[in-house]
Amino acid sequence: MSAYRPRILVIDDEPQMHRFLGPALTAAGFEPVRADDGAAGLRAIAAGAPDAVVLDLGLPDMDGKDLLKAARAFYVGPVIVLSAREREAEKIATLDLGADDYVQKPFGVGEFLARLRVALRHKLERVGAEATVVAGDLEIDLVRRLVTRAGEPLRLSPKEYELLARLAEGDGRVLTHRQLLTAIWGPAHADDLPYLRVLVGQLRQRIETEPASPKHILTEPGVGYRFMR
Amino acid sequence: MTLDEPRRPDPDALLAEAKKAGRGRLKVFLGMAPGVGKTYEMLAQAARRRAEGRDVVVGVVETHGRKETEALTPGLEILARQPIDYRGRTLMEFDLDAALARRPELLLVDEFAHSNAPGSRHPKRWQDVAELLEAGVSVWTTLNIQHLESLVDVVWKITGVRQRETVPDVILSKADEVEIVDITPAELRQRLAEGKVYVPETAQLASENFFKPENLTALRELALRRAARVVDDELIGAMRRAGVAGPWAAGERILVLVAGDGMADQLVRSGRRLAEMMDAPWTVATVERPARPPPSAAALARINDAMKLAEQLGAPTVVLTADDITGAVADYCGKNNVTQLVIGKSRDSLWREALRRSFAAAMMRRAEGVALHIVTERSAAPAGPSLAAVVAREPHAWRSYLPGLGYVAVATGVALWLDRTFRASDLGMIYLAAVLTAAVLQGLRPALLAAGLAFLVYNYFFLAPRYLFVIGSPTDVLTLFVFLAVALVTGFLAGRVRDQQRATSRRAAAITSLLAASRRLSASAVKQDAATALAEQAAAATGGRAMILLPEGGEIVPVAAAPAMTELGAQDMAAARWAWEHGEPAGAGTGTLPSAGWTFWPLQGIGKRAGVAAIEPQPQADAESERYVLALLDQGAIAIERAELAAEASEADALRRSERLRTALLNSISHDLRTPLAGVLGAATTLLEYGGELERPVQDDLLESIRDEAERLNSYVGNLLDMTRLEGGGVAPRLQSTDPRDVVTAAADRVSRRLGQRQLVRDFPPTLSTVPADSALLEQALVNILENAVAYSADGSRIEAAVYEDQRNVVISIEDEGKGIPTHQLQQVFERFQRLSESSDRGQGTGLGLAIAKGFVDAMGGRIAAASPIHHGRGTRILISLPKEKPTPHWLL
Repeated sequence: MSAYRPRILVIDDEPQMHRFLGPALTAAGFEPVRADDGAAGLRAIAAGAPDAVVLDLGLPDMDGKDLLKAARAFYVGPVIVLSAREREAEKIATLDLGADDYVQKPFGVGEFLARLRVALRHKLERVGAEATVVAGDLEIDLVRRLVTRAGEPLRLSPKEYELLARLAEGDGRVLTHRQLLTAIWGPAHADDLPYLRVLVGQLRQRIETEPASPKHILTEPGVGYRFMR
Repeated sequence: MTLDEPRRPDPDALLAEAKKAGRGRLKVFLGMAPGVGKTYEMLAQAARRRAEGRDVVVGVVETHGRKETEALTPGLEILARQPIDYRGRTLMEFDLDAALARRPELLLVDEFAHSNAPGSRHPKRWQDVAELLEAGVSVWTTLNIQHLESLVDVVWKITGVRQRETVPDVILSKADEVEIVDITPAELRQRLAEGKVYVPETAQLASENFFKPENLTALRELALRRAARVVDDELIGAMRRAGVAGPWAAGERILVLVAGDGMADQLVRSGRRLAEMMDAPWTVATVERPARPPPSAAALARINDAMKLAEQLGAPTVVLTADDITGAVADYCGKNNVTQLVIGKSRDSLWREALRRSFAAAMMRRAEGVALHIVTERSAAPAGPSLAAVVAREPHAWRSYLPGLGYVAVATGVALWLDRTFRASDLGMIYLAAVLTAAVLQGLRPALLAAGLAFLVYNYFFLAPRYLFVIGSPTDVLTLFVFLAVALVTGFLAGRVRDQQRATSRRAAAITSLLAASRRLSASAVKQDAATALAEQAAAATGGRAMILLPEGGEIVPVAAAPAMTELGAQDMAAARWAWEHGEPAGAGTGTLPSAGWTFWPLQGIGKRAGVAAIEPQPQADAESERYVLALLDQGAIAIERAELAAEASEADALRRSERLRTALLNSISHDLRTPLAGVLGAATTLLEYGGELERPVQDDLLESIRDEAERLNSYVGNLLDMTRLEGGGVAPRLQSTDPRDVVTAAADRVSRRLGQRQLVRDFPPTLSTVPADSALLEQALVNILENAVAYSADGSRIEAAVYEDQRNVVISIEDEGKGIPTHQLQQVFERFQRLSESSDRGQGTGLGLAIAKGFVDAMGGRIAAASPIHHGRGTRILISLPKEKPTPHWLL
């Protein structure tokens, strides 16, 4: 079997992280590439064009934000950020700058690989984006701007639809508050978090079976929201 | 200004009203004489209030055994009185503190003018009441008109009785309500006769003296007039508050001029009466004449008393400074629109009056448009100090006459020697020189004596007829007059120069010592030092003892004294507390707790009250030295306040540092606990999910990584525990004779697995002294240092552990070839949570290792130091030096 093994670049300065990420990625069918600091990581992205990048925040030589900014100039593939909880601000900043997802340390390998697969699938499918997103009995027709639940059309306000469409397009990817606010209300309202909270609440009322414990629109506390099928 | 501008309430009136808010209300039951039924009326009204369910408490009520009055007290809560021991007797006094603690809505305090027993907080009951009002307790009280300060003279004239117990007028005018309790004089005499006022014998005596019908009528008129005035005041106040325009300003303004003679008090009271009559504002002034010799102590005291009285009666006081009295007063009158001037004319002896131009006459010429009131002295006024008294005050004055006599004797000797060469008239010059010398050096009176003596001796020895006291010619008389005139003029001038000189030097001395004190005070960075300096300076300035009390935990406690002492009596502490709480002087010489042995001055800083200074009162203290002490205390207060602020700032600094430390601790825990955990969790989950698919060596490596990370965690937790033990002082090293080489070897073994490709080289001497050390602690310290060396150096580099000894110490040296430590950070490497490159939490160690090493080495009495770079700009060397054991004497071996 000579299936294509996506190459995953892991940029982390802690040797013990590589010690288990390497075997885990290999076992999950990926090809791990190791970089021990930011400079080496950047070189590896430029030269190796990996299928995805796993970036640890808190590298000794470089700010994660700077690295991502530099990389985004020539790299469009998915980036997953590894972060400790106290690096909240930097994590959100990297997401805003175009990181696709994040995993909080310490983490189980299962969760990490699941996130990686979502990010990869999303990137791979982006070219011919799905016209319809199906999540349980919920169907979102992104072309006809039509949302139905169990075949019944749902009446959404334009803003509600806009939010749902953005989240559904993300498809499992976390979208930061800032990204959503900018997409729906424009850059002038990038910090008006209350708008978003109210709108998310309304949308959950419309599409969730149990708005109090949502299944589709999940909150990432302090970061943003993600859509799960 | 437009005509129909809306009438606005007078802001002053509103302000006065606002000031009253929160204060208790004062109601005075005013009567013309004892026995009119004030207390009865007060109690009757109080009983009604009580019946309405109000909180009425009797603070103190004197029923004088009157039955109807006593019948009213049941049903009212009565505060227990406070026993005060005074000269073997126990006086039952009103308990102010109990009243303040009880805080009733309304308190009855009988006999407003009562003087408290010595040892009470305030000398007068009206001061107690003032404090109650301030505290928000409403008070009802009773007062007879004869006790009003400004009426003391009038009542004396009417009744021949001089009241000792007085209440300042201003207190009564501040009363919110005055109710007159009035019966006719005939009725009162009837009640007196019936024994309702006094017991029969006293009543008999009283009805013949104080209670004469004409007295009562006059007193009644005074009382009614006073009550009417209060009503008037209320009306005017109400109108002003409401903004009603009205013709109340008659435009009259009264100035009372007092001097140090016996009339000062009388003038102030006259001024007050005039002010009442005219309903005009009044001011009391005195004039200081800088060019004149200062007034006597007695005169100063009289002026001070008169000024105090004026303030009690509600008049502002001013001190004018000028040599030309009439000019200064006329100027003040012009500038302040004074229309009425009250001056006194004392009964000077006739010749003095003839010599001195009448002040009244001069004033009349200078002050235009001012009505002049001249008050003549009452004959009964106390006489001024007698000559005997003056002499008595200068016990050693006679000594100053001796040099004068000496000069004359010397002059006589010289004159006798020159007798043959010069004419007698020329020899007079020598005596003149003697008189001049006496005048310049000894002053006026010795000079006059010398002049008289010189004339006599000169006359006796040199003027014809010689050796006889005979005035032979008119020239001799002229000589006498010349001598006397020279003595007078020179003596007077020299005296003035001397006075000025003395004043100048006194002032210069005061300024110099104030400067010195201020330097000392400002040099005190610590509160305690500032307090000590202030106590010493104040003691030096007053010549008595001084003590500084500062607040500590809500109480005010003595912190410094000069000369040293620590305790104050209970009475003194009470006065100190009062001064502290009220911000006003208390204790000896003040109106509050005057029986205390010290005077307590609040130390008022810029922002807040810093403390209280206790100064032992000195009998010889004058106004000038008091001013100096007050200036000193002001400076001291500021110095103490500044020291306090500095302490607060450094406390805030310490807090910031500990805040930083806490942040560092949190970061350290978050990073140093989580990183190994991430490794453990990651490796474990990898094994769980893909264990079957992994090859054997990979599986082993993952398991090893779990073990390594768990060990890392364990060592980190161990470090935290060690640090906690060090912080809590829980490290008690068990010092035993130890060979450092063994400990270094053990530590090196412990870190060997973490060395990677690094090479650990040992350099031990073949023989080595032992050290008293706790090998476990030393090993942990060395492990920490070695781990640090591993963490900060590259794979393949060398780490050298060397041991050597010098005269007194054994030194362990650990060197690496890492990046080294920047010089400016060398100092901090032994601080907790200190990592190189603060910006990242990616440091290799926990940030605790070297701090713990230092803690352990310190605990064993050793020293630890860092040096970097050590060669070619790289490398770090950590040195541990431990004192050698005293060698065992060879004869014991």
